[in-house]
Amino acid sequence: MNTPSVGQQPHGRGHSEGHGQDLAWLLAQVACGDHAAFEAVYDQLAGPVYGVARKVLRDPAQSEEVAQEVLLEVWRSASRFDPARGSAAAWVMTIAHRRAVDRVRAENAATAREQKAAPDIGTSEDVFELVDMALDRQRVRRCMGRLSSLQAEAIKLAYYGGYSYPEVAGLLGLPLGTVKTRIRDGLIRMRDCMEVPQ
Amino acid sequence: MSVQSHDLHLLTGVYAVDALTGDELDEFEKHLEQCPTCAEEVRGLREAAARLGLATAIAPPPSMREQVLDAASRVRQLPPSGARLITANGARPRRRLIRRLPRPIAVTAMAAAIVALAVLQVGTRHQLQQAQTKNQTIASVLSASDASIELSSSTVGGTVTAVVSKHDREAVITAAGMPTPDDAQVYQLWVISAAGAPRSLGLLPGSTSGATSPVLADDVQPGDQLAVTIEPAGGTKVPTTNPIVEIHTRP
Repeated sequence: MNTPSVGQQPHGRGHSEGHGQDLAWLLAQVACGDHAAFEAVYDQLAGPVYGVARKVLRDPAQSEEVAQEVLLEVWRSASRFDPARGSAAAWVMTIAHRRAVDRVRAENAATAREQKAAPDIGTSEDVFELVDMALDRQRVRRCMGRLSSLQAEAIKLAYYGGYSYPEVAGLLGLPLGTVKTRIRDGLIRMRDCMEVPQ
Repeated sequence: MSVQSHDLHLLTGVYAVDALTGDELDEFEKHLEQCPTCAEEVRGLREAAARLGLATAIAPPPSMREQVLDAASRVRQLPPSGARLITANGARPRRRLIRRLPRPIAVTAMAAAIVALAVLQVGTRHQLQQAQTKNQTIASVLSASDASIELSSSTVGGTVTAVVSKHDREAVITAAGMPTPDDAQVYQLWVISAAGAPRSLGLLPGSTSGATSPVLADDVQPGDQLAVTIEPAGGTKVPTTNPIVEIHTRP
């Protein structure tokens, strides 16, 4: 994206961590009220934030509302981000996923989810982001491929579907304990496969 | 409801994907405060879960950008200390902290965007179509099932990324973090095949922040090499300097 220049960024973007260093640095600037830095954060994360909301909520209008809330929350509480407790991308995505899940559980999930719309790949200018997305997507696909089908299925239902784990158990016809351990084991395998910083 | 501490520990995974609800959620969050091992595990699993999220990016409606940036100028930020939003163990806040944006803002911004687009289309419909076709091609390369990603650091700093579709014989190339060349110089992109002279793919803009505008390369054969050289402004017909980046596509 055409990110406005925001002072001197530490060089490059650690591609292998996807959205690592720069984002943490940008968030520190955002915490000081830097609007240009916030624009840069927006350009990097609006796509994933909106994407998660769409995945969980389906409905475009609701997803946009949630995405706006999340991004404003990032602006508002940037000072509370602590790099010692995880990456900036994970911090933002955690807020995004929670909001989406909270929304889907607060409202009548059934009606919202029935309005399935084909995910649009978006228009023109966002091809820039697509490159980064492709990096992430390919790695995720590769790592998902190493999970057992049960682990992958349970994780997808919980994360992308926004279902609680008893709901996942119901959908898959499995005991609660099994779902608990499958999701945990699967995520551990994902974590190790994606070389998430420990 | 009382659960043994061993069982509680197994909840790190479902907690990390927000699949824990009700009493169990409360109980687990209490447990997290006293279990540094669990908190540490949650942190790692959250990172993994976040990748699932990052991989699902969808371009939001273009009007959203202005709305969010505009709203940010009206939202007061939290001071660095005080009550933690996300506490040390990652417990969730209970309150709804941001009210929804009023609808009229959304509608107005959307209308403005549509008007702007309509004006643009009258003047440059042909250019717009060309741009759209190019973007569609780029999007199709990026989402091709056989797309492979090659990444290489440049000798002047920054990296060049190529997404190559072997089947489509196409590649999309972007650079990130490369210094902007001085006025007299440009970055030029080439495709070099085993047989034949290097073919210019055009100029690659430098950029220190974010990625550059993607360049679409057609007729890229498996095993071809992509290279970037520094050339005089305007570019040249053949490379005149040693490449600062070379990417070998898979044979």
